[in-house]
Amino acid sequence: MTKRRKWAAIPGLALIAVTATVLSAYGGAQAGAAAQAQAGQPAPSPAPTTTDTAALRAQRDTQPAEGPWAYSAGSSDQGYSPEQPIAFPHPQHVQSLQMNCLYCHYSANKSPDPGMPAVSTCMGCHTIVAAQKPEIQKLQQFWRDSTPIPWVRIHKVPDYVQFPHMRHVNAGVTCQTCHGEVQKMPRVYQYSALNMGWCVNCHVERKVRYDCSTCHM
Amino acid sequence: MSTDPGSAGVKRRDFLKVLGATTAAGAAVGCTSDRVEKLIPYLVSPDNTTPGVSNYYATVCRECAAGCGVIAEVRDGRAIKLEGNPEHPLSRGALCAKGQSALQGLYNPDRYRGPMVRQGNGLVPTTWENALQLLGAQLARARSGGAAANAAFINQAESGSFPAFLDQWLAAFGMPAHIAYDADATHAAMEANRQTYGVAWPRLDFTAARLIVSIGADFLETWGASVPQQLSFADARAKLADAPRLVYIGARRSLTGLNADEWIAVRPGSELAIANALRDAVGGNMGTLDQAAEAAGADAAQLRRLAAELAAARPAVVLAGTTGADATDVALAANAINAATGAVGTAVLPAEPIASFERTAAYADIRALVARMNAGSVPLLFVRGANPAFTTPASLGFAQAMAKVPYKVSFSSYPDETTELCDLVLPDHHALESWGDSQPLPGVVGYQQPVMAPVFNTRATADVLLGVASTDEQARGRFGGATNYREWIAARAGGPRALADALVTGVADGTVLQGPAPTRAAPVPPSTPIQQTEGDYYLVVYPSPLLGTGAGGNKPWLQELADPVTKISWQSWVEIHPLTARELGVQAGDHLTVRTPTGSITAPAYPYLGVRRDTVAIALGRGHTAYGRYAKGVGVNPLVLLASAEDARSGALALASTKAQVTKAAEHSPLVTTEGSARQHGRGIAQAMLPAELDAGPVEHGEGHDIPGMPPLEFGPGLRSPVAADAQGVYADSGSKDKGMYDPEHWSGMAKRRWAMTIDLARCTGCSACVVACYAENNLPTVGAPWQGRATSPVTWDERPGANILKGREMTWIRLERYFEGGEDGSSDFETRFVPMLCQHCGNAPCEPVCPVYATYHSPDGLNVQVYNRCVGTRYCSNNCPYKVRYFNWFGYGEPDRRQYAWPEPLNWQLNPDVTVRGKGVMEKCTFCVQRIREAEHRARLEGRAVRADEFTTACAQACPSRAITFGDAADASWSVAQLAVDRRAYHVFEELNTYTAVVYLKKVIHPAPAAPAQA
Repeated sequence: MTKRRKWAAIPGLALIAVTATVLSAYGGAQAGAAAQAQAGQPAPSPAPTTTDTAALRAQRDTQPAEGPWAYSAGSSDQGYSPEQPIAFPHPQHVQSLQMNCLYCHYSANKSPDPGMPAVSTCMGCHTIVAAQKPEIQKLQQFWRDSTPIPWVRIHKVPDYVQFPHMRHVNAGVTCQTCHGEVQKMPRVYQYSALNMGWCVNCHVERKVRYDCSTCHM
Repeated sequence: MSTDPGSAGVKRRDFLKVLGATTAAGAAVGCTSDRVEKLIPYLVSPDNTTPGVSNYYATVCRECAAGCGVIAEVRDGRAIKLEGNPEHPLSRGALCAKGQSALQGLYNPDRYRGPMVRQGNGLVPTTWENALQLLGAQLARARSGGAAANAAFINQAESGSFPAFLDQWLAAFGMPAHIAYDADATHAAMEANRQTYGVAWPRLDFTAARLIVSIGADFLETWGASVPQQLSFADARAKLADAPRLVYIGARRSLTGLNADEWIAVRPGSELAIANALRDAVGGNMGTLDQAAEAAGADAAQLRRLAAELAAARPAVVLAGTTGADATDVALAANAINAATGAVGTAVLPAEPIASFERTAAYADIRALVARMNAGSVPLLFVRGANPAFTTPASLGFAQAMAKVPYKVSFSSYPDETTELCDLVLPDHHALESWGDSQPLPGVVGYQQPVMAPVFNTRATADVLLGVASTDEQARGRFGGATNYREWIAARAGGPRALADALVTGVADGTVLQGPAPTRAAPVPPSTPIQQTEGDYYLVVYPSPLLGTGAGGNKPWLQELADPVTKISWQSWVEIHPLTARELGVQAGDHLTVRTPTGSITAPAYPYLGVRRDTVAIALGRGHTAYGRYAKGVGVNPLVLLASAEDARSGALALASTKAQVTKAAEHSPLVTTEGSARQHGRGIAQAMLPAELDAGPVEHGEGHDIPGMPPLEFGPGLRSPVAADAQGVYADSGSKDKGMYDPEHWSGMAKRRWAMTIDLARCTGCSACVVACYAENNLPTVGAPWQGRATSPVTWDERPGANILKGREMTWIRLERYFEGGEDGSSDFETRFVPMLCQHCGNAPCEPVCPVYATYHSPDGLNVQVYNRCVGTRYCSNNCPYKVRYFNWFGYGEPDRRQYAWPEPLNWQLNPDVTVRGKGVMEKCTFCVQRIREAEHRARLEGRAVRADEFTTACAQACPSRAITFGDAADASWSVAQLAVDRRAYHVFEELNTYTAVVYLKKVIHPAPAAPAQA
């Protein structure tokens, strides 16, 4: 490298370094703010009140994107709220009928897997109850066809993460802590970021083991 | 499981639609949002199941005739792991490599999806209604023509009521009793046992023996019931100084031979002279020994010493498993010696026979059947669970004879060589989908139950038979009104209630249905004795310890698992002595053509110390021309070399009956081996000691293992590690920062535990069951299939079987290293040491500091953890690992749309949901089954208690039929491992590197011949 080129390179590299520092500080601050908002407030801004998928998508897409440098947040589906094959109203069942979450998600307290209600569980009531409503008729059609309902999955941690529901439920973590107030959601959306920073924050705060091999195996 | 709506390539039972949320082991690895997944609920939730929580069902393994008891772990309606049933009198909780692999038979992607019928040259799918109609019509035709009495049914030799049930059914249709065929069975020894003791297989108790002499009896492999024999042998070896010496007599050292303390290499065909001479010598007449030694080409002094030892050691047990034309005579001589040395009733227990082998037919029965088929007198042939077109010598002409049978029906679930020649295929359920029973010991019944819904549209053969019988006037009512086999079994067990009770443990008192003893075809003595056939070399053909005579070939685990003796996989080889190879100018991998009057094969040479200089040896099991994608076209089948010759008394196929011409061929193909070197080069990896040294007080643990400036710490796995020591305050600086979870007083309590493992090399036989258990538990991909190689150009691929392994890319978290000691000059006096090698979970791990992204680190409870999602694939860790136990994902073995995908549907149903399927470009290695550790911790926490000592163990330790592996918390003295880790035989591999491993090996104890000079 000639002397002249070297003198040209040093300011250039310095500029790149400064830019990177500023950008990462910006991203870090943003991620930190997001984490704060999630830890403190029950329902941040993306709480949708509409069931219009397009509107929800738009709402999600217009949120300021967290930069790719933000800690594990680049892949978060926070706010994701897909249309379901049957517009199942959680408020009706949980708030009006006072049904316990564990009635349908029957293994959340004893298995890593929370459990999805069998179609027969739905039909226990809906053979008679509200049988004429169009959504219930969809359900009955699934039952008559002996076809399970193809619910669209909303909450998912990557395959390399093991999340044991039962440990959390038995430790007194409410369903709403992670899933938000599902009892008030006409259509369920992903409330939390479900990324690693979000997990670890809670584990540190609550004095729970946060060694990598707690979740990654 | 969550699936794409479009990827439902396999028909699934609606009631077993399963849901998966967090535990989904979808093969796709990636981020959360790139595809829409479905959550599929049950239609009706089954009783007694919780999603994401395993159920365990006791059933019976049918991978060999022994019928060990197994426990199937079933998660969300799918069997994901097989383990031995601790309640079972034979297997006692252990399971061999073949048994573990039953899952890959269940989920084999090449299974028939439903019944098939011949149309022109091929088989086409049909419906069960149509298939059963065809079967009924053929039965009616045979009966009306009066030819039914000439029909034949070849069934796999199996333990239980089914053989007698089948004979009842055959009788109802006027057909003769079936032929219970087992190509792997050692008929000669069975015949001799029947003559001597009245039972086919006495149970063996090696712990009672003072000396074991095996004349070609590979009791750790295919000779008899390998799992109970291995358990007993390991228990005997664990007596250390008092352990019986094992002497192996044979032309080739098998796995059993490698476990022997001494090998007397004798010429094939001379075993009878040796056995008779030994019998005479035990009786006091040493006169014939020299003559026998002369005939065998063995050292007379060595034989005389053995005879003296045999006469002195009581009880001494002699086992014979030769495969020549005089095999029964050899076994009879061995039985006579056992009677003379007091072994009968102590080490050989005819009063407790292993009942599974009683009914087994011999090769002579098949040969007699072929003669009838060729004569055109067999109108109808049934085959179930056997593949005689592949497992009989080509010179017998089974396949050609099949062409002369008007109608052939197969009950096979796999497209094997025999089934492809059949006219109708009625695929049977896999054993894990079926009802049944077995008789392991007299008075004990093992019950077999389906552990999951059928994977494909198959039907249990017993149910098919009952269905056919129910529509037939003469057969109706013969089966007590049972409409299916479950009812029939339940009626035998004393009703559905009693059956349900028995299924809790899988075993109960009782007997299975016994039929009359079958009539056997008279054996034909071979026309030419072995000494007179042409050729330069004796040819020894032997069943592979893993693939048997071929049944294992379609299971990728067994193809990938290195042969315990030669460490070769995905390939056939010719074993030839190194000095003979040098004479022929042959290097390892140079092809050899082996020619006999009946045929010739060409395969790469493997120079092997454990074969006589005048002998070549070839394993059976490969060379399939059908049998699915994993078996077809891999290796060669040495049965083409054999004449159809029989042992004159038992009718067993004479495998060691011929000589062969061996010439060097032009080709060369590198050996697909997982072995780096067969020698230890002074590294002390597999250590051994003499019995005398056991009493010499505590053993020094090498030198240079104290860290300068650090006070010497007690010997123990990982406990001395700098990380642990630092956390415990030895290095601690009072002003230092928080030690976090590494502090034993930390609230997490993680650092209080120190997970560790001991491996007792005195027990280990090198059988490799642990390796397959690890494959099953930890979702290890097999990488050697011909389509899994790399691209050699944009359009061409390296399609050699095992191409990845040739490049050192095998994925085996635990591997069996096999080292030879001595014999550098080519002599037969060498010792073999097996050492299971896995991640040592070093307390001071060389891999950890070189990782630029902290993907590997030391957990507070002593694990060397690999975080897959953090790994960027630099492979520095692997470079720096002195044990070479880290494995890299060179291809996307877990991605279904890639050519290298390791689990084509439905093999992926077996994947363990608790373990990540690793992605491309990621390093992986043994985790000490961290998922089992965490699961035990979860369970304990939910039950409000601490993890109990020895509450759980790793997959390898669980499977081990030698009980060599012990896992647990070395920091808590109540665990077994804590005591074993400070055993006087304990050592760490490469201790001088200061790695502070958490795996502690216990030295093997060798028992040299009394007069031989001691060597260690």
